[in-house]
Amino acid sequence: MPPKYHIKTAQAPNRFQAITRSGVIAWEEGCLKCPRCVKKDCVYQVYEKRGLEARQMLDSLDTACKDCFRCVQGCPNKLIQKGLNPQYKALGDHYWTPEIISVLWSQAESGRIPVSGAGYGGPFSGPGFDAMWTDMSEIVRPTRDGIHGREYISTTVDLGRKVMALEFDAGGKITTTVPPLVEIPLPIIFDILPWSPPRRQITLAFLEAARALGTFAVVRQSEMNAAIEEHLSNVVLWVDGAVNDLTDELLKTLSLIEIPDGDHVMEMQRLLKEKNPKAIVFIRMELNPTASERVIWLTQEGAEVFHLVANEYGLEKGEDPLFIKERMREIHGSLVEKGLRDEVTLIASGGIAMAEHMAKIILCGADALGVDIPLLVAMECRVCRRCKEGVACPVELEGVDPAWGAGRIKNLMAAWHNQLLEVLGAMGIREARRLRGEMGRAMFFEDLEKEVFAPMGKRV
Amino acid sequence: MDQKSAGLKITIFFCQRIDADQDAHRRPLEKELGSQIRFFPLPCSGRIEPLHLLRALESGADKVYVVTCAEGACRYREGNIRAKKRLAYAQGLIEEIGLAKDHLELIHVLAGTTTTIAQLAEELLAREAFVGPLPVDAPGQERQQRQL
Repeated sequence: MPPKYHIKTAQAPNRFQAITRSGVIAWEEGCLKCPRCVKKDCVYQVYEKRGLEARQMLDSLDTACKDCFRCVQGCPNKLIQKGLNPQYKALGDHYWTPEIISVLWSQAESGRIPVSGAGYGGPFSGPGFDAMWTDMSEIVRPTRDGIHGREYISTTVDLGRKVMALEFDAGGKITTTVPPLVEIPLPIIFDILPWSPPRRQITLAFLEAARALGTFAVVRQSEMNAAIEEHLSNVVLWVDGAVNDLTDELLKTLSLIEIPDGDHVMEMQRLLKEKNPKAIVFIRMELNPTASERVIWLTQEGAEVFHLVANEYGLEKGEDPLFIKERMREIHGSLVEKGLRDEVTLIASGGIAMAEHMAKIILCGADALGVDIPLLVAMECRVCRRCKEGVACPVELEGVDPAWGAGRIKNLMAAWHNQLLEVLGAMGIREARRLRGEMGRAMFFEDLEKEVFAPMGKRV
Repeated sequence: MDQKSAGLKITIFFCQRIDADQDAHRRPLEKELGSQIRFFPLPCSGRIEPLHLLRALESGADKVYVVTCAEGACRYREGNIRAKKRLAYAQGLIEEIGLAKDHLELIHVLAGTTTTIAQLAEELLAREAFVGPLPVDAPGQERQQRQL
């Protein structure tokens, strides 16, 4: 049995104070000067350790407060109140909600699984990934067994093309050429960011984290520099310029190369394979209504890995776009029907915001997935998209220290990895490879709704 | 000369209740003026402490505004009245060390008006520059937290 994959975590404190859900509003005026102020009784010494972050004028009060309401209830003149923070509500957007962002922050800071307390009041369904329920019926022992290593669960996945049968000549010598295969210990690669401040430092943080985790980060050809070249063993090179501009030397050292889908994509793949037969070529394709036919055709032509990309909200291209999980299900299903599914690898990107999305997109048929915005959020990004408009980043991401950033990303990935282990354990599945396309372990709200309610409208 | 062309560094603390979509509204100004203008949204203007104002001056602002909702319109009843008192206290402190109290100023939004924070900031920037740059060599933005 190979050694257990374990991600070491270490607290990586925030550079900036996080925006909290609620804030303390404490009036000084009208104070009765009680001999023992309720502020002195704070269990967490929030008031005594109070500080001010000068760059953002944020009071440590709000971040340190644990919402126990002891001071609010205790003050005899009712001078202390807690109010919802409007800035928190304004974080992100309808998809990247304040809850998602703040949970990502806390995972990146501590590396721990988020715990939201006892009981869940709903809602139980919603758009996108929320319309999907997973089956955890195999919970027969603590789901943490996987995390603590008492139960061996593998999250390793393979990237590359696989042969379905080996052929041998009369002498018993293998005649099939076995294509190269890369194993990654967790089903995640770091994808290109849809927007970000200048990326120099950010990319280095991604690459350092990728190295520590044993995975890969997609890097643009146009952004290659000496610092990145030190991390080539963890780079998926995204060819966004001319192939001829790439030196043979560089091509020979890369194990993964990504090219855009287009008319001459297979020629381009052949060309790259000639230069470096050991390299695996990803074909990056924007999801669209015809993606499934295209994937089948390219698979028959010899494609190895498809990197299927939706936008940051998980939506494909075109009018009336489908959500990534729907399109992935369709692509996976049609490959299965044609008997081609096991030959290629599918990587899905776009709209993956939480650990559960990872498990869900794999259930929908992806072998692995690309993560983008959560990695930025791990480094305190507020998804305000100011960088997209050319306004300065409020958390100065352009100057992030790669070592600190990598630590935060490692923490986040450790938390996600642990959550994946929990889901797998609860499903009774011992391998992330087995989770792929395991539709029997998932229920889709739209399907159930149709099943239950559609017959009601029928006339007998 | 107006404050914008005088190149004064402006810091605006404002109550977020004034403009529900403040984040989007202030972006164009932030883009145009860069570090010349800084906005600090507050959940209530009553959250402002004299220390915030002094820290703003210390970190390079020449003029600090506190924008509150109209008197009597505070969600927390008397937040803006408290903001006024605290600002007056901070003004007293800077006067004591020989600075003009006009470096700090309180702006009440008029009751019943619906201005965006950007319009308001533009108005403030277009005002005559009565105070010059702060005659103190500010050490810039410090990264450590300080005890209150």
